[in-house]
Amino acid sequence: MTLAVRRIVLDPAISSAILRLSAEFPDVGRRSIGLVVRTCREELRGSPTDALPELVERLARQRLHAPAL
Amino acid sequence: MGYVDVSGIRHTLPDGRVLLDDVSFRIGEGARAALIGENGAGKTTLLRIIAGDLLPEAGAVARTGGLGVMRQFIGSVRDDTNVQRFLVDLSPPAVREAWDAVEAAELALMESDDERAQMAYAHALSHWGDVGGYEAEVTWDTVTVAALGMPYEGCKYRELSTLSGGEQKRLALEGLLRGPDEVLLLDEPDNYLDVPGKRWLEERLLETRKTVLFVSHDRELLGRVADRVVTVEGGSAWVHGGGFVSYHEARSARHERLAELRRRWDEEHQRLIDLVRTLQQQAANSPDMANRYHAMQTRLAKFEAIGPPPERPPEQKVAMRLRGGRTGVRAVIAEQLELTGLMKPFDAEIWYGDRVGVLGANGAGKSHFLRLLAGQEVAHTGGCRLGARVVPGFFAQTHAHPEWQERTPVDLLWHGEPGRPGVDRGRAMAALRRYGLADSGDQLFRTLSGGQQARFQILLLELSGATLLLLDEPTDNLDVLSAEALEEALTAFDGTVLAVTHDRWFARSFDRFLVFGADGRVYESTEPVFDETRVQRAR
Repeated sequence: MTLAVRRIVLDPAISSAILRLSAEFPDVGRRSIGLVVRTCREELRGSPTDALPELVERLARQRLHAPAL
Repeated sequence: MGYVDVSGIRHTLPDGRVLLDDVSFRIGEGARAALIGENGAGKTTLLRIIAGDLLPEAGAVARTGGLGVMRQFIGSVRDDTNVQRFLVDLSPPAVREAWDAVEAAELALMESDDERAQMAYAHALSHWGDVGGYEAEVTWDTVTVAALGMPYEGCKYRELSTLSGGEQKRLALEGLLRGPDEVLLLDEPDNYLDVPGKRWLEERLLETRKTVLFVSHDRELLGRVADRVVTVEGGSAWVHGGGFVSYHEARSARHERLAELRRRWDEEHQRLIDLVRTLQQQAANSPDMANRYHAMQTRLAKFEAIGPPPERPPEQKVAMRLRGGRTGVRAVIAEQLELTGLMKPFDAEIWYGDRVGVLGANGAGKSHFLRLLAGQEVAHTGGCRLGARVVPGFFAQTHAHPEWQERTPVDLLWHGEPGRPGVDRGRAMAALRRYGLADSGDQLFRTLSGGQQARFQILLLELSGATLLLLDEPTDNLDVLSAEALEEALTAFDGTVLAVTHDRWFARSFDRFLVFGADGRVYESTEPVFDETRVQRAR
């Protein structure tokens, strides 16, 4: 399940992850990727800032790979 | 600031002997207390009880301010522990637990990259941040730079076994002194440290605001640092509120007072017994005396129920008889000797009867030099030979005798070895008794304390008939009394002595000194030189 979350402005953890995942998943819309990434970012709130970009990207990749239920 | 409050501690050994009974003392905020006592008196056991490693049979330990513990084995770590794990283990429990959780989560991620594992990893990292893990890593960087001259990232996977004993100790001390714990328990923190290292330790302990309880046998360190002395003896502990300088006097006065109290108690006891006997006879003749007789019986019973005051602790008797024997006049001749990669070539002549202190910083090659003289394989160029009838006897620094670990002292003495004939059990026990080891004769070698192992090694030297003693830090684990006994034995020894030592007190008993300089130069000195700095080598 994905959550509708507010847009987080100027978050490198999000922008770089969206960029890379868009290239990795060309069949998925950029808007959908953005939504998954922001949801992951919100769920990982509280994680150490330095580790956040990697954590967000890995979790988002995992969710994009997962078959739709 | 923290404190430690020990009250009514009792501990019994597996063989039923009471090691500690009714041990009570308090180390207040900011105190620097030395814990001293004879080898095997129970110092390390008491530290383990305070640290929470051992549960006392009775009594309790109260403490505040977080507890940092440096254990005795640090300095001789030979397993695959790396710097990172070592620093984690020295950290407060919350940091340790958070670290273990991060490691477990990382391992789980390697197995499976699913969402659950990822969330667990993120949670572990958050927790790591919450308990101050990132700040701890910053501190570790400061610690490794100070102790090893390298940033944390550059040495965190380095195995501790590749560091010298002094480097291991210094790493632990830097970690604890810069860490958050307010109470530090340090079990022989000065072992393996060279003299500049000991001086550094003294300064750091003097300037720290933490509460410190430390075990040490170094008389100089005790004299400079300790502001009170906790003595474990006679199965209990007492506190001398002054420094080590006035300690011997205070201990003698206490022993005399205890002996006097005991004498008075014995006298009063005997007087009451005599009275009971007299009244018993009188009661037999006169029924009027029966009441007085019963009253006196009750008084005696109450007196005995309270029990006698503690006895004066028995003095440890250590009698070392290092005999030696006449050898050629020139005992050791070194000609352009160079230990490969350790020092520049040097010449030296050591004469029969010389007492030579081998001094210098850690890593300068002093131990290698002794091992070479002992006939072990050490890479070298140039010449080094022993004179006529010179029989070397070697005392190893770290007691590295893996072949002894599962054997008992009696067994080792009974079997003998090349150059040292075996002796029967009676003679073995007699010899062990002289070294204060009679109770440990049938204990496995590995279970002996550091000081007991050291004394046993000296006993083997005595029995081997060595005429050249090569001693590598012999006083490191010896209690003060045993160290003094060794000094006396060396004075009486008919032969030549070479001793590597960082014990400033011990070093002053030598005639001349061979100094291994930081620049690789080896030179002679008539006075002890303790200022040689650490040898810098590419890592």
